[in-house]
Amino acid sequence: MLENMLNYALFRSVRANRVQKQFLNCIESELAEGFTELLLRLMSLVLFLNMDFRRNIKNFRGRYLFRSRDDEITVAAVFRDNRLRVYDKAIANTDVTVTFKDARALMNYILSPKPDILGSILRQDVVIDGNFNYLYKFAYMAKHLQLMATGKA
Amino acid sequence: MGAVTLQDIRLTEYNLENLPLLKQLREGLFNEKPKVCIERARYYTEYLRDMSSDREPAEIRYANAANYFLSKKAPLFFDDNLLAGTTTSKPFGAPVYPEWTGMTIWPELDTISTREKNPLILSKKEAEGLNFDIYPYWMERNILEYTRKKHNNPECMRIFERIVFFIASKAGCISHTVPDYRVALDKGVEYIIEQAASREIELKKDENLSEENRQKLEFYQAIQIAMQGVIAYAQNLGKKAAGLAAKEQDPFRKENFRKMAALCARVPAKPARTFREAVNCIWIVQVAIHAENINMAMSPGRLDQILYEYYKKDIDKGILTVKEAMELVGCLWLKLNDNANLVPETAEELFGGAGTVPAVTVGGVDENGEDAVNDLTYIMLRVTELLKTRDPSLNARYHYEKNAEEYRDRVAEVIVNTKAVPAIHNDVVDIKVLENQGTKLEHARDYAIIGCVELGVSGRSYDASSSIILNLVSGLELALNSGKRPVTGDEQIGPQTGDPSQFKSFVEFREAFENQLRWLMGKGIELNEYFGHTYQEILPSPLLSAFFEGPMEQGKDLISGGALYNSSGATHVGFADTVDSLNAIEKAVFIDKKCTFAELMKALEANFKDHEKLHAYLINKTPKYGTDDPIAVENSRSLIRFLYDFYQGHTNYRGGRYRPGYWTMTNHAGQGKLSRALPNGRKADKVFASGITPVSQAADDLTACLRAVGGLQSECIPSGEALNLKYPFVEGKEDIKRFGQAVEAYFRCGGLHIQFNIMSYEDLIDARNNPEKHPGLLVRVSGYSAYFNDLNEAMKDEIITRTAYDIRTGKAVPLRSASV
Repeated sequence: MLENMLNYALFRSVRANRVQKQFLNCIESELAEGFTELLLRLMSLVLFLNMDFRRNIKNFRGRYLFRSRDDEITVAAVFRDNRLRVYDKAIANTDVTVTFKDARALMNYILSPKPDILGSILRQDVVIDGNFNYLYKFAYMAKHLQLMATGKA
Repeated sequence: MGAVTLQDIRLTEYNLENLPLLKQLREGLFNEKPKVCIERARYYTEYLRDMSSDREPAEIRYANAANYFLSKKAPLFFDDNLLAGTTTSKPFGAPVYPEWTGMTIWPELDTISTREKNPLILSKKEAEGLNFDIYPYWMERNILEYTRKKHNNPECMRIFERIVFFIASKAGCISHTVPDYRVALDKGVEYIIEQAASREIELKKDENLSEENRQKLEFYQAIQIAMQGVIAYAQNLGKKAAGLAAKEQDPFRKENFRKMAALCARVPAKPARTFREAVNCIWIVQVAIHAENINMAMSPGRLDQILYEYYKKDIDKGILTVKEAMELVGCLWLKLNDNANLVPETAEELFGGAGTVPAVTVGGVDENGEDAVNDLTYIMLRVTELLKTRDPSLNARYHYEKNAEEYRDRVAEVIVNTKAVPAIHNDVVDIKVLENQGTKLEHARDYAIIGCVELGVSGRSYDASSSIILNLVSGLELALNSGKRPVTGDEQIGPQTGDPSQFKSFVEFREAFENQLRWLMGKGIELNEYFGHTYQEILPSPLLSAFFEGPMEQGKDLISGGALYNSSGATHVGFADTVDSLNAIEKAVFIDKKCTFAELMKALEANFKDHEKLHAYLINKTPKYGTDDPIAVENSRSLIRFLYDFYQGHTNYRGGRYRPGYWTMTNHAGQGKLSRALPNGRKADKVFASGITPVSQAADDLTACLRAVGGLQSECIPSGEALNLKYPFVEGKEDIKRFGQAVEAYFRCGGLHIQFNIMSYEDLIDARNNPEKHPGLLVRVSGYSAYFNDLNEAMKDEIITRTAYDIRTGKAVPLRSASV
């Protein structure tokens, strides 16, 4: 109970945090600039602060690479030891690599207005190389984060 | 031999008013919202993760998982249905099968209950169960990911995952078959256990078992384990029913529970003795099969034949009335609707609206080639006419030399009254097609429909009929762009077959097209083989195998080739648009020289903007499939032949041949939305024609249309075809007669299958614009029935614009495009 209250208080403070504001602004903007980095930063932060959300990565190991088609954006996410580490560079031995047309395409792919994984593939906005289930898990976490950030979770 | 004793084959004295139980159950079904059910996923995961090891033989392990689930599956009674057993733990449930597509809703766990298209209610607790407990176990273990890892993410899989070339359905299911319920009905599941046990004992006598015999031994053990699970579930149902009977005050319900308790103590363990026991036996076995196999087109088959002896015996004894038989059949029809597919939202938007398509087949001839239509055939038709439910997908076989005209016309009447069902199949040709595939004549005569329109030999063939769904237009676009497709950009996908503007003849283009198709089909087959081997390694089907002829005798699981007959089906999307595009290229570029290939390509790239004259010419002046034009006839037949020869030259992992078919479910709508303009004048993003149906508004004479489709060398279409037609009205006996005659004429031309929507353009437009006025409006899509309101917008448009023919003149009714 106490921990829940603490988590709630901490998450409230995170909501006030710039990252969250930026993230919310980003998903409402036309270009979704910086979406990938903001999403991962916010996810990392909330994983650290929120015990319930942290359950998602308990004993989970996963290596993700997100890159734009023009190589302007390259961000890696590594889940290990109940933590998420974010890198601004390519990593090897990924479980899944997501190559996307632009930040907006990636956002449509996993978040807004609804997770649209199949649609993005069909439109060829996003190309997946690797295990789809890792991506499904990530998309669930991202969507849940969005709902938390907007007070709908 | 058929035996019709009913005074009135239309059974007009029975309706939903004097069958109040069916009326009440039907209303309940339509009011029920579908819910995600995780019961099966939870028990399977629990068993496989915590109580067994990957090192155990897969047969035994999966049989134990089925047994574990069925023994623990909640025995539930949600309503006053006369049959015991439920597919899921919800009144209307979408079960999660994580081995197949169950993981695809993971991103939607928070939103699936409220999504716009066909929401599925999922409780927070169950969503957490999936997210934290169930899905993590399957991340590397479902069919798709196991195969990817094993074959190092092969090119064929990466092509499949672009979705716009072909779909390899084994990633999502096999099912698509017709089990043999006779063994459960006539001998009982205990008999199956005894058979497997005696074979196991025989094998154990050999102290130095060969590897082959060791596998047989495991298979026989697995069958026993799985069958004990089936019996355990029935017994649990019986005990629960007995408990409910003791508490129930309402006399009808009390008696119903009492009867179900007695019945479940008997079937399916022991042979059924009465019609009611037989119907419930089939349902319990169907539920049990879905413990192991995903709920996709698991088809009960020829129920009017299988159940007839039980019906007749009870009627003769005076312990069953026609009305009671109708109630029991109706209860089975409604039970077959108690489950839905678990589909992610985008798939719903692009391909959705389908039920689970358990196909029931009635009529036709028996194994001796004689008229098989009987009283139950008419009872099933009448029940279908009254209930108008999406499932079961009812299919009427019609043998124009053996079945009576009155049967033919009664089938037509039911279609008119339901506006959509049943579909009709040509016995004469279907039987020949199966014989041509090596099926014994008496077995071919006992065929039943699988899912949409595919031909299966009841309980004897394992056909995996939707293994590959190949987009023919993708082959055409690859040929037009030397191995690239507009939708996949500049990426070289297929082989470089040359710049079409350099081709000197149509033959050169056709060769390029065929080369692209060969490459695509080869990729589809390669991936299907990979998936097939994955199933053999990690996901066998001992439970389903017990309900087939062959596995017990051979000691071999269905997935390893145990059935008497084996095949893999490949169906094709965009047939008519592809043929018409070939016609247009031949005529416009090489015969009339109306444009150069380069000019045509330019017009396609511009989606005919500023090329209106050429567009009008392509639409109005080039040959159309569905007419008698010799160019169209030649191109359609040669494509059918080409595909048939290619597939038949390939043997699958079970030792059977690949079989082509032409039915598209809703894929023609989804794939059409992803394709650019085509040479036949079809503009970008418009739906393709469905199944083997000519392009909407392209064939304006019904007789010519039926002649063209019927003339397509049906022996080259062994996996079935879907011809979708529309009549705006059919009124009175004369129209019904014309309806029946048109079907017969088509069948005499060689057509395999035909299905109808009896609706005008205006009716359908009104249904689209005012969905609340048309709840439960049933339509035929391309092989199955759907509720119009459940379809995506593209699919609704396709059904609206399908050519409607005036049944009296045989001429197409003009579609005023402004109204669409």
